[in-house]
Amino acid sequence: MGEVEKVFTSGLAEKLSEDKIITEDDLDPEFAAEIIRYGGKDVMTCLQCGNCTGVCPISLKIEYKTRTTIKYCQFGMRKQTLETRWVCATCYRCYEHCPADLNPAELMIALRHIAIREGIIPPFVKVAATNLLQYGMTVRPDEAMIKERVKMGLPVLPQTKPGWEEVKKQIVTIIQTTKYDRLLGIAPKEGSE
Amino acid sequence: MTSPESKKPEEKIGVFICHCGTNIGGVVNCEKVAENISKLPGVVVSKDVKYACSDLGQEDIRKAIRENGVNRVVVASCSPRLHEFTFKKCVEGAGLNPYFMHMVNLREQCSWVHMKEPEKATQKAEDLVKMGVDRSRLLTPLTPREVSVEKSCLVIGGGISGIQAALDIGDKGFKTYLVEKEPSIGGHMAQLDKTFPTGDCAICILAPKMVEVARNPNIEILAYSEVVDIEGYVGNFKVKIRRKPRYVIEDKCVGCGVCAEKCPVKVPNEFDCGFGTRRAIYVPFPQAVPLKYTIDKEHCLHFKTGKCQLCVKACVNQAIDHKQEPIDIELNVGTIIVATGFDTYVPIRKGVYKYWEYKNVITALELERLINAAGPTGGHLVRPSDGVEPKRIAFIQCVGSRNIKLQHKYCSRVCCMYAIKNAQIISEHTPDSEIAIYYNDVRAFGKGFEELYHRVREDYGVEFIRGRPAKLTRDPLTENITIRAEETLLAKITEREFDLVVLSVGLIPAAGTSPIQKMLSLPVSDDGFLQESHPKLRPVETAIEGVFICGCVQSPKDIPDSVAQAKGAASAASTMMIKGKHIVEPLCASVTNELCVGCGLCTEVCPYKAIELKEVDGLTKAVVTEALCHGCGTCAASCPQHAISQLQFTDDQILSELTAALGSTNGAKDSAGGG
Repeated sequence: MGEVEKVFTSGLAEKLSEDKIITEDDLDPEFAAEIIRYGGKDVMTCLQCGNCTGVCPISLKIEYKTRTTIKYCQFGMRKQTLETRWVCATCYRCYEHCPADLNPAELMIALRHIAIREGIIPPFVKVAATNLLQYGMTVRPDEAMIKERVKMGLPVLPQTKPGWEEVKKQIVTIIQTTKYDRLLGIAPKEGSE
Repeated sequence: MTSPESKKPEEKIGVFICHCGTNIGGVVNCEKVAENISKLPGVVVSKDVKYACSDLGQEDIRKAIRENGVNRVVVASCSPRLHEFTFKKCVEGAGLNPYFMHMVNLREQCSWVHMKEPEKATQKAEDLVKMGVDRSRLLTPLTPREVSVEKSCLVIGGGISGIQAALDIGDKGFKTYLVEKEPSIGGHMAQLDKTFPTGDCAICILAPKMVEVARNPNIEILAYSEVVDIEGYVGNFKVKIRRKPRYVIEDKCVGCGVCAEKCPVKVPNEFDCGFGTRRAIYVPFPQAVPLKYTIDKEHCLHFKTGKCQLCVKACVNQAIDHKQEPIDIELNVGTIIVATGFDTYVPIRKGVYKYWEYKNVITALELERLINAAGPTGGHLVRPSDGVEPKRIAFIQCVGSRNIKLQHKYCSRVCCMYAIKNAQIISEHTPDSEIAIYYNDVRAFGKGFEELYHRVREDYGVEFIRGRPAKLTRDPLTENITIRAEETLLAKITEREFDLVVLSVGLIPAAGTSPIQKMLSLPVSDDGFLQESHPKLRPVETAIEGVFICGCVQSPKDIPDSVAQAKGAASAASTMMIKGKHIVEPLCASVTNELCVGCGLCTEVCPYKAIELKEVDGLTKAVVTEALCHGCGTCAASCPQHAISQLQFTDDQILSELTAALGSTNGAKDSAGGG
């Protein structure tokens, strides 16, 4: 596995303990309402038919099941849900097939909003944001990749093009004005690379 | 000199403020309201009562009319929807025209919505009653009209519901016309194999009823006919029916079938959902009533080439007549029952279930024909792709139902049970079959249903998989279908292969319903089915008086419920016909001929076709058919000449209430002005 892949797949293990009995103390009754405020549609109308999981490309590969996320949200299992729903590719296949006209992809995005605000930030998000600040792009290709591109006669990446520094400065300004860096807890870099 | 018109009889208004127990009295100070109202001009009686609708309360009202000469009654209580009839009858009993009674709603529109503000609620109650009192001064005595009701009924639709309704009405002695657009009555029930939960063979229990219909001297079956126009109103409907040509003389055809044996044309059989074939001259199924052959003009060789006469030569009774024309008849009936039934949902092209793309994906109705002993395969279930008996069969539930994206939000009610029933039939026939039912919920709610659900799991090992299939793929060599679904109870995505997949399709209103609905201006529910008057208490009546509905045209249901509802509709229609007359409420539009210029705008906006342009004394005027008028007021609002007024809701009456409302003192003014 390359450097890039290692970074982006670390820290995503399921944290839900299956042996524990869930009691009211583990639940948050306002969770479903909060999700609506963050842009997810009303999860309470979900019939749990499982069609979303059936069409989800991510659900095929890992333990993650789209439908169970929605069930946890209905139930109010806030802690478990916020730490584990970062792999959604937002392909929207779930939305296309849902008979109750719900949008699990939007729900995942809403959950991410809520998680970030509570400081639950998976490592890869921090890495991507730091890259954005430092290099102006979220995925920073490593040296090996650049060498390959040169070998194949492909154009080199923007970070070595003239005018790129200006663009990068604008990106940094946006990040700092919107306090995105503060939200994620990453220190802004002075100057340019 | 005073003219007679200027001397109006003096209005003596009686006002009754109801406590309704604590419903109103707990929030509104009824004694105070009654006292303040008593000071208004013309009010001779103003009192608060505990329950105006009770015998005591009603006696109070009647006493006021008899002893105090009250000639306008204002009852300030609950919604008119509850007790308007009660109070109208009450004042009528004391000799006062019921249209001099006016109700003010102090409950739903006052006490119930302002429970936390009793003082303001009391002030509002007083304002509302003042408005009612002023309006009552302008009420006019109206007389209900009586129309006669023809003692005959038209039943549209010859399925099990129409058949049952016709039988009940015919048995009561009323002339009944049963119109059916197919060549035979029987409807979809004739296509089914066995019925749930008992396993009764559908045609075996249906055919005797069909024969009873034919035998009943009061019922006239008009098969292969369609209703083309309906005019008139309750008790007096004029119906135009087109009898389509069978190209067979009904009186001469004995149903022997020799013509069909000789016919060289074979076409896919609609009754068998396209699986079997029939001839161009055919009966839809052997138990057809009436047992008369019909020529399908579209495929008959004679109509195409002018040459083939094989059936003509074969028929010993010379019953074939290729020159037949449609016959239009007109009927006069008193009541109409709409029982046009359902069609099954047709899955979309390129849908997830690949109904149009994969050969071995069929609908439940197609399955009924394949497992039916009278069907195209003699009851042997075979796969469409290769004619081989399938061993592994999957049912997919909720196809076309419970789906907001498809605009079919409703549950079709019968699919859970028919899938269970079909699973049992297939297991009986093929003991080594493996059957799986992919469900979302199992709705086994009726009598004997849960028992059958239990039985298919216990005795036949049918597997119930909870999960809505996400993807169907096909093996190009074997034409087997693989279903991928998340089995939610396992929380695992699984893929299973089947030989045959059956889609449990939902029910939609039959295609023939729409023209009837438009002819009668029948309201339609959100789900597309015809709307009943009240979902709980008036399931067979409609907004159009004299028109009743029953069976699946009202909403999806199974055979026992259809029969029960048909009997209900028959009873409702019969009540009207037994009475022989019907009271029409006089709350309708009234045209002042002198003002009407005959522009016809009102005729364009009326939803009930109750107003038309007619010749009156040589001039074109708008004329209202009171029996059709629902008193909605749309025509009155549309008239540019203000020639139409809505009786009991005239401009004067409404404006009087507004004047009273705007002119009254409100709480803020009092406290600010100090009195």
